[in-house]
Amino acid sequence: MNANWSLSNLTERINMSSVFVEQLMWVAVGLIGVVTFISLLALVLVYAERKICAHIQCRLGPMRVGWHGILQTLADGIKLFLKEDIIPDEADRLLYFLAPFFCLVATLLSLLVIPLSPQVQIIDVNIGVIYLGAVSGFGILGVIMAGWGSNNKWSALGAMRAGAQMVSYEISTTLSLLVIVLFVGSLQLSEIVLSQQEGWWIWRAHGVGVLAFILLLISSVAELNRTPFDLAEGESELTAGFHTEYSGVRFSFFFLAEFINMFILAAMMSTFFLGGWMPFHIGQLTAFNAAMDLIPPAIWFIGKTSVMIFVFMWIRWTFPRLRVDQLMKLEWQVLMPLGFVNLFLAAIVVLTNFYFFA
Amino acid sequence: MSESKYTIGNIDISTVKSKRPIRKGTLYNLVTGFMSLMKGMKITAYYFFHTKEVVTEQYPENRETLKISERFRAELKLKKDDRGFLNCTGCNICAQNCPNGSIEVIAMKGETNKKEIDRYIWHMDSCTFCNICVQVCPYDAIEMKPNFESSALDRRLYIYQLNKYAGPTKKNLDKLEDPADMQRLVNLIKREPYKGPIPLGMQQGEEHNFNHPEPVKKIVVKKETAKDVVKKDV
Amino acid sequence: MLNDNTDPIELKTLQDQFNLGQKGLSGNDTQEFFVNMGPQHPSTHGVLRLVLKMDGENVKKVIPVLGYIHRGIEKMSEYIGARQIVPLTDRMDYLSAMSNNWGISRAVELAMGVETNSRIETIRTLMAELQRMQSHMLWWGVLGLDLGAVTTFFYGFRDREFLTELMEKTTGSRLTMNYIQPGGLMFDIHEDFVKDVKAFLKYFKPKLEEYEILLSGNVILQNRLRGVGVLSSDDALSFSCTGPTLRASGVPLDLRKTEKYGVYDQVEFDVPVGEVGDCWDRYWVRLEEIKQSMHIIEQLIDDIPEGKFTTLKPAKKLKIPAGTTYSQVETPRGSLGTFIQGDGTAIPYRLHFRTPNFNNLWAITKLGPGGKLADLVATLSTLDLVIPDIDR
Repeated sequence: MNANWSLSNLTERINMSSVFVEQLMWVAVGLIGVVTFISLLALVLVYAERKICAHIQCRLGPMRVGWHGILQTLADGIKLFLKEDIIPDEADRLLYFLAPFFCLVATLLSLLVIPLSPQVQIIDVNIGVIYLGAVSGFGILGVIMAGWGSNNKWSALGAMRAGAQMVSYEISTTLSLLVIVLFVGSLQLSEIVLSQQEGWWIWRAHGVGVLAFILLLISSVAELNRTPFDLAEGESELTAGFHTEYSGVRFSFFFLAEFINMFILAAMMSTFFLGGWMPFHIGQLTAFNAAMDLIPPAIWFIGKTSVMIFVFMWIRWTFPRLRVDQLMKLEWQVLMPLGFVNLFLAAIVVLTNFYFFA
Repeated sequence: MSESKYTIGNIDISTVKSKRPIRKGTLYNLVTGFMSLMKGMKITAYYFFHTKEVVTEQYPENRETLKISERFRAELKLKKDDRGFLNCTGCNICAQNCPNGSIEVIAMKGETNKKEIDRYIWHMDSCTFCNICVQVCPYDAIEMKPNFESSALDRRLYIYQLNKYAGPTKKNLDKLEDPADMQRLVNLIKREPYKGPIPLGMQQGEEHNFNHPEPVKKIVVKKETAKDVVKKDV
Repeated sequence: MLNDNTDPIELKTLQDQFNLGQKGLSGNDTQEFFVNMGPQHPSTHGVLRLVLKMDGENVKKVIPVLGYIHRGIEKMSEYIGARQIVPLTDRMDYLSAMSNNWGISRAVELAMGVETNSRIETIRTLMAELQRMQSHMLWWGVLGLDLGAVTTFFYGFRDREFLTELMEKTTGSRLTMNYIQPGGLMFDIHEDFVKDVKAFLKYFKPKLEEYEILLSGNVILQNRLRGVGVLSSDDALSFSCTGPTLRASGVPLDLRKTEKYGVYDQVEFDVPVGEVGDCWDRYWVRLEEIKQSMHIIEQLIDDIPEGKFTTLKPAKKLKIPAGTTYSQVETPRGSLGTFIQGDGTAIPYRLHFRTPNFNNLWAITKLGPGGKLADLVATLSTLDLVIPDIDR
């Protein structure tokens, strides 16, 4: 019996090479891991958002479900799954059904390449930066499909605004990331992290790095459709924008996608500018570096990403939102020229080796 | 004086002109704009890190230390002294003055040949709590109490009857010399009062007093908030 | 406009009525469409229905549809007496209940010829100014909420809670106070009133500076409000706008200075006046009014004269003599006028309220078109409408 079901036997029958099947199995394990990771992450992030929002507003947030409200997100998730699945009357069924999946698949694909620690990185693509930029386009597609397929004028308005906004701010994001690629010389994400062995790029590449960081911060907030750039789901104007007509599980997909996107962008910011899982090293000071190495790299990564997520939430609950034409003007007349000038200056800095620990 | 092209008769109105936001060159606007955003974030960060600025209260758990002001209008009650005698003569002035007819006064002619109260019915589901009935009562017979926990699951539970006995007022009872006579008149016609639904965690017949000076159970120390600091100062 | 020849059986759709066709009225390839900013919407402050004709993101026409919260207050006044109407006026503009009470009380007093003493007038002025501050604080919070900054809503309510508790101690109620009655007041002020007001003023001054940093100095808000919804003074006067909306357009009309009521002629204060008449000016005028109200309260709080708190016996039936009376007061939103026509009995023959929000609303038909949807929301916010006041 055993001989019939061994791996080589199977592969003979199916006529595939065993190496390929083994790789496929690892990818499947990776996907399952990513899906569990997403669920746990969503629980923590939604709870964090509600508590942070509450404390900024001089109140306490969820306090009743579990100790200080820890199980609140679980209860909300169960409620969303048990809701009735309402489909609007003349909605475009194909678009309506597919849209949440597009948003979620975009986040899944992006999560596969983020380096969480030296050992944990599911796929290390050698064109990591380009891959990230390409895959976030799926999310944009999902938003536009949701708005159009809902057969609701308010949703369509929201989706058109969101599509235009997300496509424009991709440019600024890519321009900031390209600055770091210039310094590192490679597109591979693990290389970028390893190159920060002697210090993080945000202070190693001084002025240019700081400016690129700020540009990436503003563009990320716009990519995520969060205040001050959240006219896609501007609550006081369009009630919920492109996902007005979604309820239950479909809505939970959009909701999940937003929070995981936030994690991905925060992880990107910490990977490119704050060192990813690399501890805080200063040049060749071996004693200091060894002391910093005692803290495991996973903790460094989680800490940096958490700080970036806190900054996103802090920005969201402080500012009013921009109007649609002001938003476009900001991108095309302010941020993009600044991005290009920054890239040019970064090229000069790299060529003349004018940065710390060149 | 204002410099607008409109003046209002001969009246001298001292005005303050509006301040527009200052905008000079592009770089100035960019820098001051960015700084304004930073200043705004500083304020929200202050409230995030100082948890003693939290102003909300956890309601059902803090009922022992809740302070509701005495004049808060939430429930109508007939005033009675410690013997249980009322002041209400059944004159019907409160019912006539109620804007939407939430009071029904049924009077009778009693043993003393004067008008006496038979039933005093208050419809809480249509009362606006405007206090006009209390204001116009000539005998100081009713008052509004701050007991706000009166939610019920059935609308019919909101028709209250406020008097416990049908009979003469305190003044007329005091005119009788024999205490036994007083008691007899009071016990003559008993009315079962319906005091409304029972709030959470209380027994039948128990009354909640929000203004007792010392709490009955253990005091839960409230965290000091900005309000307490300012009140202590003044 | 929606005109009267809408026969229910042959009710044409709005699109047919306005002859939209395929090319759209604008003549190019985009089609204009009608969208309903319905009675339930997060940013129309109450149940107001606005039918918008839009071309993409631009608003072309605004048609308000009223009547969703009409309760017949004026008709009810023909069945109940003058004293009983006062709690109904609480529910008209619920954010400035005291000022509404003062409006009708003053009209009844003028009609009956009742004099009040200086204690009553001082307390009425104090309460009206506190109510003005309270209403403007809520407006500020809701402006932030409409424009996306949710925290300002909570800050406004947190500070307003002080005033609400203060008024609860004196009047007994938090929203519908029914305190200023014809002939005087419902109760005398609580013994903690003066102390509480002083504590509040001390608490609120630094918070007002925080408000300035959080919203007024914020570059995003300035760009949202500057140059948006410009209402010239001629337009404002032709719509009969009053209150801060009119003052922001440049006309310095303030009933507290022109009418002789309360003790306003014994205190010094300035009237904030705007320059251009855009949303920023309306915003600035209201914030400055809070400061001026604080100034008035500081001048009055220390010497409240002695006296009785009511000059009429409580059970007295208020008979309104035959004839017409009209009186106005300045509420936080504009001038509230009360017209009473009595016929000698306690129940008036006709009672009519000229409410400020009703006239301020129609400015939106001029300010909406030409801007974007987001501008419409900002303009509605700065006009500070309370819808139950419009269809009483």
